[in-house]
Amino acid sequence: MSINKNILLFLLAAIGLIALPHIENLPSSVTGYFYLLLSWRLVGVWKPQWLPTKLMLLLLTVIGIAILYSLHEGIFGRDAGTRLFVTALGLKLLEIKSERDLYLIIFLAFIVATSLFLYQQSIFMAAYILVVCCVLLGTLVCINSSHSKTWHSLKTAGVIIAQALPMTIVIFILFPRVEAPKWMYFNDKHQAKTGLGDNMEPGTISDLAMSDELVFRVQFTGTIPPPAQRYWRGPVLTQTDGKRWTQNRIDLSQPIDQPKLTGNPYQYILLMEPQDKNWVFALALPADVSSPLRRNSHYQLVTSANPDKRTEYRITSYPTYNTGTITKDEYQEATQLPGPASANVTQLVQRLHGFDSPPDKFISQLLNHFKTEDFYYTLTPPLMQENPIEQFLFESHRGFCEHYATAFVYLMRVAHIPARIVTGYQGGELNQVGNFLDIKQAYAHAWAEVWLENRGWVRIDPTAAIAPERIEQNINIDQQVANGIISFTPNSASAAVDWLKNARQLWGNVDYQWQRWVINYDNKNQSKFLSSLGISDLKTMIYWMAGIIGLITAVLSWVLLRNPGQPTDPAVLAYQRFCKKLVVKGLIKRPGEGAKDFSKRAKKSLPEQAASIDLITQLFIKLHYGKQQNNNDLQRFESLVARFNFKH
Amino acid sequence: MHNDLEQLLQTANQIILGKPRQIRLAVCCLLARGHLLIEDIPGVGKTTLSHTLAKLLGLNYQRIQFTSDILPADIIGASVFNAQTHSFSFHPGAIFNQMVLADEINRATPKAQSALLEAMEEHQVTVEGKTYPLPAPFFVIATQNPTHQIGTFPLPESQLDRFLMRIELGYPDLRAEKALLSGQRRHDLIDSLPVKLAPERLHQLQKAVTRVHASDALLDYCLAIINYTRSSPDYHCGLSPRAGLALLTAAKAWAFMNQRDAVIPEDIQAVLAAVAGHRLRSGNTNSEAIVQPILTNVAVL
Amino acid sequence: MSTLTLKERFSLSRFSIGEKATDKPVTLNQRRIFILPTDRGLGFAILIALLLLIAFVYNNNLAYLLAFLLASIFFITILHSYRSLSGLVLRSGQSKPVFSGQAAGFNIHIDNSTNKERLQLKISLLQTTETISLSAHNQAQVVLHSATDNRGWQKAGTLTISSTYPLGLFRAWSPLRFNLNVLVYPKPANTELPFPETPASQSEQGTAPAHKGNDDFFGLQSYQPGDAIKHIHWKSYAKGLGVFSKQYDGESSDQIWLNYIQTPGHGIEERLSQLCRWLIDAEQAGISYGFSIPGLKLEPANGQHHYQKCLEALALFETS
Repeated sequence: MSINKNILLFLLAAIGLIALPHIENLPSSVTGYFYLLLSWRLVGVWKPQWLPTKLMLLLLTVIGIAILYSLHEGIFGRDAGTRLFVTALGLKLLEIKSERDLYLIIFLAFIVATSLFLYQQSIFMAAYILVVCCVLLGTLVCINSSHSKTWHSLKTAGVIIAQALPMTIVIFILFPRVEAPKWMYFNDKHQAKTGLGDNMEPGTISDLAMSDELVFRVQFTGTIPPPAQRYWRGPVLTQTDGKRWTQNRIDLSQPIDQPKLTGNPYQYILLMEPQDKNWVFALALPADVSSPLRRNSHYQLVTSANPDKRTEYRITSYPTYNTGTITKDEYQEATQLPGPASANVTQLVQRLHGFDSPPDKFISQLLNHFKTEDFYYTLTPPLMQENPIEQFLFESHRGFCEHYATAFVYLMRVAHIPARIVTGYQGGELNQVGNFLDIKQAYAHAWAEVWLENRGWVRIDPTAAIAPERIEQNINIDQQVANGIISFTPNSASAAVDWLKNARQLWGNVDYQWQRWVINYDNKNQSKFLSSLGISDLKTMIYWMAGIIGLITAVLSWVLLRNPGQPTDPAVLAYQRFCKKLVVKGLIKRPGEGAKDFSKRAKKSLPEQAASIDLITQLFIKLHYGKQQNNNDLQRFESLVARFNFKH
Repeated sequence: MHNDLEQLLQTANQIILGKPRQIRLAVCCLLARGHLLIEDIPGVGKTTLSHTLAKLLGLNYQRIQFTSDILPADIIGASVFNAQTHSFSFHPGAIFNQMVLADEINRATPKAQSALLEAMEEHQVTVEGKTYPLPAPFFVIATQNPTHQIGTFPLPESQLDRFLMRIELGYPDLRAEKALLSGQRRHDLIDSLPVKLAPERLHQLQKAVTRVHASDALLDYCLAIINYTRSSPDYHCGLSPRAGLALLTAAKAWAFMNQRDAVIPEDIQAVLAAVAGHRLRSGNTNSEAIVQPILTNVAVL
Repeated sequence: MSTLTLKERFSLSRFSIGEKATDKPVTLNQRRIFILPTDRGLGFAILIALLLLIAFVYNNNLAYLLAFLLASIFFITILHSYRSLSGLVLRSGQSKPVFSGQAAGFNIHIDNSTNKERLQLKISLLQTTETISLSAHNQAQVVLHSATDNRGWQKAGTLTISSTYPLGLFRAWSPLRFNLNVLVYPKPANTELPFPETPASQSEQGTAPAHKGNDDFFGLQSYQPGDAIKHIHWKSYAKGLGVFSKQYDGESSDQIWLNYIQTPGHGIEERLSQLCRWLIDAEQAGISYGFSIPGLKLEPANGQHHYQKCLEALALFETS
């Protein structure tokens, strides 16, 4: 076999790298099989006699097919296709006979690299793939240059990639994006994602409290609402069996009164990360909703776009609003109780004047009760199995937001005040670099809404009523503290972690812009962006693309192909300028003519200039052929050449 | 330092009329410690030139007339049996002189020729296991008839390479020839010549020549010339590395004679015909014509 | 460089055969260099299409980005391919004559006077291909061998310099034609025929006196007028044995005539081939040989010059 050992090693390294991130995505049987073949091939570099024979290769192929078959995925779709290509790549590695096979392997490797993007689109992955591409191209350079110096080939590949980048970016921006037709979607199974569900029971939200996973990002076009206003509404839960709260079964799409919206709206762009549910979390109260978004009768936004894709929405929300009257259905829904209240509860409501005073009085009494009595806010409340609300209210006094919200709503309903639980997210970490908010799973929250006469649905957050000293310090809720749900002065912010925070914010911003402008640059974003540049239709787009590519090509050609034999010695360059000046007078230096001979000829036909021609020539000879050069001479020489002119 | 040289050249020019360039080249060759080959028809002043130079430099001078029956021993000397002492004693040949004129070298057999050329190369003579150094300075001027004459053994190329330069004298121009005819006998003139450059001075000058600077750019030009001769279809074979060294040395001497401390391309061009003419084989026989393509095609910058 | 007429510029033969043959150095430039994708390049294009399809189906921008990157690289490689040849100066060199059947070597000089390294240049002539790499400001000489079967002048034809550097996706090539000829001598016969007898009459025709060697003493021979006086063996003369002259080795009156008409063989080629064999043998043996074929007669002599002249005459005999 005539394939250079170096090239093989280089290639195998690149292939090993390309498949590495797939360990996370593919079943271990496939990756194990692949890396077994790769190691076999690697050993074969030194011990070619150990490489599999034709029969063994056939056997290996059968094994590969068997593995694929056992996974029951067919050959279409993301997972199945990736497995197929990885397996094929592994098998092809064992059959390298000619240069052609190397090319095939490299092409397969590029496909596998692309498949990685179907699983992960982070900036790290992109950088990683870029590096691996460089190694793959380096292999090609190696093959075509018979270069044993792999470093040199790698450098060449890097240079080519660098030269290709501007053009890539232009094509990326201007290449028309079209949604793929529906039949082209493959049904892929997805891993279940964590996040808010359509029901809630004690522990649902506290499970999320430790999760750092990003849910969405928001960039405001105007002012950013203060932390206390940042309630991102999600599903509204109305039905309860005393323990578990669910969305109601009535049709959420039935028409409701248009709320009265006043005050200054917040306008923002919301970039939802891939989700299981088609919910979009907006500030109360979203208005002017247009497709693909829809506002249901709980004022919750739902989208008709594929929630599995990162999607961007433009939303306007009014912080002050009045939802007006309540329908009968709504009233029934919002006062539903699993059964008659117990004596303890009735007594408590009674004591807090729930039955004999206006609703807002009762509300403040109740909040005051949470504050003054011995209530604790904790991530790890004691297990409450039987009757969590009563257990919480009268025994443990310890709970997380869901405990407070459910207890609050329950008590409201006992007092015949329509109330419901709203789940969603509260707060958001402001990224000062990019001026946007990061909302993570840890910010999941539950609060209450009560319906009040003349005011409509009003948000009440009972968790905010807890006395600060009763917040358990050991739990990781300083985020919520910072966001003002719980008001107490944080002492965790030290200067040492400051720069870390800054760095994190900087990175967060890079990531956000990456998501927005690269990952999420779809046909809508493209047309928006391009029309802001005045490029509106396909034809102009293509003209621009062709034009800019042409320009880049021209620049590149100039850089790459400009007269390569040019001397770089400044003295020679200056002397050539001098010769150029003399061309006007018909004096052309012959290639084989020395400077001195030329000056003799020049002096003869330009007697007035004789002195300066002589001086320039002497200096040039001194600079170019002399024993020691100094910079003064060079400067003098260059200025003499510059000043050399013919009097008119 | 240069004054002596100029005076020497001037005086020589008064003896050999109308050949300043050839005289200059001959002196250049001397300064570069090379040997000179003069190729021309008889009677144009080859002998006069060498004799004049020997006189002006105060060197002891010997002329060897090469004939077809000259033996190596005639040139380098031989051990002779001395009947009185019953021992062999070495009788040095004609070559044991500071300046040797090897006249009509191509008349001798190759064996005699190579004896001379070996001595030239090694600056010493080995006879029957004993080595005798040649005097210093040691300078050979060989003359050669144009090869087309009958009964000659042209020097093979490998031997030609041992001469730093080959020059052609050619007929003098009309004015010079008239002056020659009307003037004194050259022979008498030469006899009365004073020494213009003593051997020690010559040695100093030769040393100074080696100190002449050759810049990188100049070496590139030199290499370009060598490469051109190797690749051009004009030449059957290119210049050898030894020829390249010779070219540079001669150019240094030429630069020195022109009172420069660094070589410039014009120096190389000036000596190129003399240095490379006999080393290159091409359709032409005239040195200037042989190197003309080099001068026009090899770029200086 | 001369300009091309419109017709020449668009003639298809420029792509494969090259322009008119020339003696001058040829600088590779946009007029001489052609670039087309290789089959690997086409494979690469298919790969790009596949990646675009994946990107389209999954609406995946990073996949798009990778596809565009590869497409840009594909495009830019055209420039690199051009750069791998541009600025090189090729020149034809001298070629040594060969005997028919031997491979003729054509000399090509490649001069890279630029400051770029040229890697993996392939220079091919018919079936032979030489691969060289040239560092910046360097030059190289390539000898391309081509089989010979007929005597006479053999033309080199079109030689092609090509490169697939850097990625092998495109092949840049330049077909070149030089006035590159090599003289092919007839194939020497394998037979071991003795040299032809030389008729005395012909021997006398030789006017140049046989050159006598004087290296090693060989023997004595009765004195012939014209022998050098120093060769006279005075000792035997003193003994009264008569006049003898010393004979030295190398002094040979052997002289043969190689005559086409007297050469055995059927047909021209066989005779030439036999003559060729004799020429080689005679030159090696140091015999003086005269040479005669219709239209040319060379007096007996010896040495490279004479030898080549004879062979040349054989090679070109009755070829147009």
